[in-house]
Amino acid sequence: MFKRKKLQSKSEVLLRNIVVTAIVIFNVCFVILPIGIAFVGSFHQWNPLKGTYNFLGFENYKNVFTNKLFWRSMGNTVIFTSFAVTFRVVLGLAIASALYSSLIKHKVFYRTIFYMPTVTPLIAVAFVWKIMYNPQIGLINKLTGLNINWLFDGRYALASVLLMTIWKDFGYAVVLFLAGLYSLPKDCFEAAKIDGASSWQVFRFITLPLLKQNTLFVVVTSIITYMQSYVQIMVMTEGGPGTKTYLSTYLIYNEAFEKYNFGYASAISFTMFVIIAFFSALSFRITNVKEA
Amino acid sequence: MIKKILSVLLISAMLFSAVGCGKKETSSKDNTNDSAKETQMDTVDKKEEKEDKKLEVLGDTMKYDPNKEVNDGQPITIDFWTWDFVDIYQNLIDQYQEIHPNVTINLIETPWSDYWTKLPLSLNSKDSPAVFAIHNSYHDNLINYMAPYDIPLEELEADFLNVDSHLIDGNIYYMDYAMMTANLYYNKDMWQAAGLTEADFPKTWADVAEVAKKLTIKEGDQLVQAGFNYNGTFNQMVLGLNYQLDQNLFNEDGTATMNNEAMNKVVQYFVDLYRKDGVGSPDFGTSAGESFGQGQSAMIVMWGYYYNQLINDYPDVKFGILEVPKFSEDEDIYAYNRYNGESSLGISKNVSAEAQAVAQDFVRFSLANDEFLVNYSVRANCFPTKLSLANRPEILEHPVLSALAPNIDRYIWPGTMPSTVEDNMKIAGENILYNGMSVSDALAQAEATINSDLSNIDFVPVENMYKYAK
Amino acid sequence: MKVKVSKFILNMALLLLGILTLIPFIWMFFSSFKSNAEIKSLYQTFLPKEFTLENYITMNDNFNFVRFFGNSLFLSITVTFIISCTSTIAGFVLSKYQFKGRNLIFSFIMGTMMIPWAVTIIPKYSIIRSIGWMDSYAAIIVPVLFSGFGIFMLRQYCMGIPDELLEAARIDGANEFYIVGNIVFPLCRNAISSIAIFQFLWMWEDYLWPFIVINSEEKQVLAVGLKMFSGRFSTNYGGLFAATAVSIIPVIAVYLIFQNRFVDGITASAVKG
Repeated sequence: MFKRKKLQSKSEVLLRNIVVTAIVIFNVCFVILPIGIAFVGSFHQWNPLKGTYNFLGFENYKNVFTNKLFWRSMGNTVIFTSFAVTFRVVLGLAIASALYSSLIKHKVFYRTIFYMPTVTPLIAVAFVWKIMYNPQIGLINKLTGLNINWLFDGRYALASVLLMTIWKDFGYAVVLFLAGLYSLPKDCFEAAKIDGASSWQVFRFITLPLLKQNTLFVVVTSIITYMQSYVQIMVMTEGGPGTKTYLSTYLIYNEAFEKYNFGYASAISFTMFVIIAFFSALSFRITNVKEA
Repeated sequence: MIKKILSVLLISAMLFSAVGCGKKETSSKDNTNDSAKETQMDTVDKKEEKEDKKLEVLGDTMKYDPNKEVNDGQPITIDFWTWDFVDIYQNLIDQYQEIHPNVTINLIETPWSDYWTKLPLSLNSKDSPAVFAIHNSYHDNLINYMAPYDIPLEELEADFLNVDSHLIDGNIYYMDYAMMTANLYYNKDMWQAAGLTEADFPKTWADVAEVAKKLTIKEGDQLVQAGFNYNGTFNQMVLGLNYQLDQNLFNEDGTATMNNEAMNKVVQYFVDLYRKDGVGSPDFGTSAGESFGQGQSAMIVMWGYYYNQLINDYPDVKFGILEVPKFSEDEDIYAYNRYNGESSLGISKNVSAEAQAVAQDFVRFSLANDEFLVNYSVRANCFPTKLSLANRPEILEHPVLSALAPNIDRYIWPGTMPSTVEDNMKIAGENILYNGMSVSDALAQAEATINSDLSNIDFVPVENMYKYAK
Repeated sequence: MKVKVSKFILNMALLLLGILTLIPFIWMFFSSFKSNAEIKSLYQTFLPKEFTLENYITMNDNFNFVRFFGNSLFLSITVTFIISCTSTIAGFVLSKYQFKGRNLIFSFIMGTMMIPWAVTIIPKYSIIRSIGWMDSYAAIIVPVLFSGFGIFMLRQYCMGIPDELLEAARIDGANEFYIVGNIVFPLCRNAISSIAIFQFLWMWEDYLWPFIVINSEEKQVLAVGLKMFSGRFSTNYGGLFAATAVSIIPVIAVYLIFQNRFVDGITASAVKG
């Protein structure tokens, strides 16, 4: 693998230098600098809208760790994220495989349908579902014959938001897995079929391993997205009933854009960052271990 | 393949229809432009008249003299930001531009939700609007960028109610055009169906419980019609009823007090309405306002803004509006409720001196302009703060404002209450109703969070400025 | 026979899932032809009782719909194009070239994606303002020249390109720019298509950033216009649903265009080469 290193051509060095320089400059200006400002801000009582900036030391971080709501919202976020990611991957993979298989007709039709929720702005979708969950006029109680106050019952509220999120988002995974499936070398499948493998065996031992990179991509980007979900909470439950459905990013958004407590919001963000980074590193580690 | 062609066709058809709509809209816009042009023509005619006859001076104690030139008659353009009441403000601008043709005021509408992020950011720069609408709950972020009114305080005090509560170091940066507060709404058809008459209009909360029982309809255990509903409006409703029991929301040191005897009593009353009297349920009609509109709830307590929603979204509901009930039969109570002001316009201190001068003049014009203030109050369902307008027919005929009129001076403004107070009382309400927390635990938790948030903000309660403050 | 049965079951399951997926969507679409009174009324029907185009016709009352639509289209296409290019080139370099700091750069790009925007948006705003890009499209385009999602996706994808293929081209005398343009881009078309689909969508939906950096009405984007329906006290559901229905048309169109690139398995045979 490292043999090639000697063969570096002039144009390779040039291209590499251009790309690396561009990425570095871009990241310094629009990523590192803002994050740096926010990080320094996390040690301050900081409201940029008003112009407050008073040094607090570790006060904000201390408050994060002693804030029960932070831990509750972190717990909710982990539950929310794990379910949402799992369903997205499983549902996405299943539907993508079905759409890829020769057994299904009207592929364009289905692909379009399954993508519809994904393209609809979350804010509109959340309002639609909020009306559907209404215990008196909502579609869901009518169709199921249940009498449940979905969004106000602590037992169901988070699950209800989760269901909406899964509905909204599985199309993303379908698109990515389809892209992956269509890029797979066809001859593998043909060879397997000639060898008499069942479709499940083909899927389990050929397709799945070949889609590993796609899966990793879907899992990591989904973790990042779901760890940062807040719009559905804002529209559907406002964190309620009480504080039962608070997610971390809703808490951060609330602190920053409702209470204008940017220093504290930053402190929560960086605490959360450490936690997400840990999870992401873990998922990389797992797939890399398999690779080796 | 046919599917493919079909879907492409479908998409293009949809696109066409979208473009079609767009075209229609532009043409209708052109029409309004035409009519605007026509009014401008009228203006020209009037101006000719103006040269002969001087324009009438507006205002009571505080005057506005339209004959005085602005910006020495030189052309000038300023921006004016708002999130609402566009037509009313545009009308005001049109009147102003008619008097001062050298001034152009651009009215820019922005969505409410992020107005409060964008406005302070812009105020801190040269792109700042010269004039902008304010909501006092965002006071803390805006005040540093504002210029005080150049109107003598005595003049404002003479013409307007509760000006003093807006004093900051002897200056007024903004005040209230009008005051919004809560009323009791009842469904007239249900009232009749339950055999109730005007004589049954509740004066006290005990009365409310009694009539609510008569207005409740159940099928077995299942509610069909709620006598009283406060789902989703709990915090709005209870915050302020404490005044009826002689209890302020804030202590003298500026901290909030929620878990006190009075608030416990208020909240317990409403919890009992559901749990003991069974006149409603937290799971029946999850939004009181909608449930009332849908004809499933007979009585609700709502703030002024609700009136417009009700007549727009539920035109078929026949309803009446009453003054908010009291906890005792005593005529002489400390206060009925809190109110919140719909603020007058703010002026940016970061725009050029010329633009500021025009902005000052425009704001004075708005405060002296009775027509505008009446229109505004009627539209916002708020009681005008200008004393001379209290007996105007438009006010006395308005269902919300007429209900408020008799005791309008018996409402307290607690100050620029930051959103954390309402937010945490909302959480407290849900904790009690849905999560089984006890009233005083929930209030104690709310109080603690509110006070921890207040310690980060410069908030000064002004309950002591109330006319009948103790 | 067995194949037939499973084919039937599979088709039925997919149809059922498709219907379930569509219900909320169709409900929204039909509701866009209802008055607000009907949307919130106690007696809910799927089809509008009183069909009205009011929500579509009054769309322009709130903002200049056509103008905003055009602006959004321009920005989304530009950004999608740029990101497709930068992601492919960066993804290729970060996966196929061996150099010091390669993994550091990549982990960094991934890591920074995890910082919630809520805390970096204001600092970013100050930076843009001090550069002097306020109220210009540079403020919207430049900060998204590189996308973490895009680079990540293309890096994963380029790792699957066999080194032999590149070597063969190099031996034939191709320089790296030629390789990127004539080998990497065509090979990555599935990945580029999917990144284009999503990037277009994200750009199209992005709201807060354009809102705070753009002041002039004539430069504003559609997502900001959609927000006008959420008022201080209530939401104009009918208006929101109508505008949503119209606003998703271009996104669906972009989806269909790029999705159809997936169909052929050319890439596979090319890789096999």
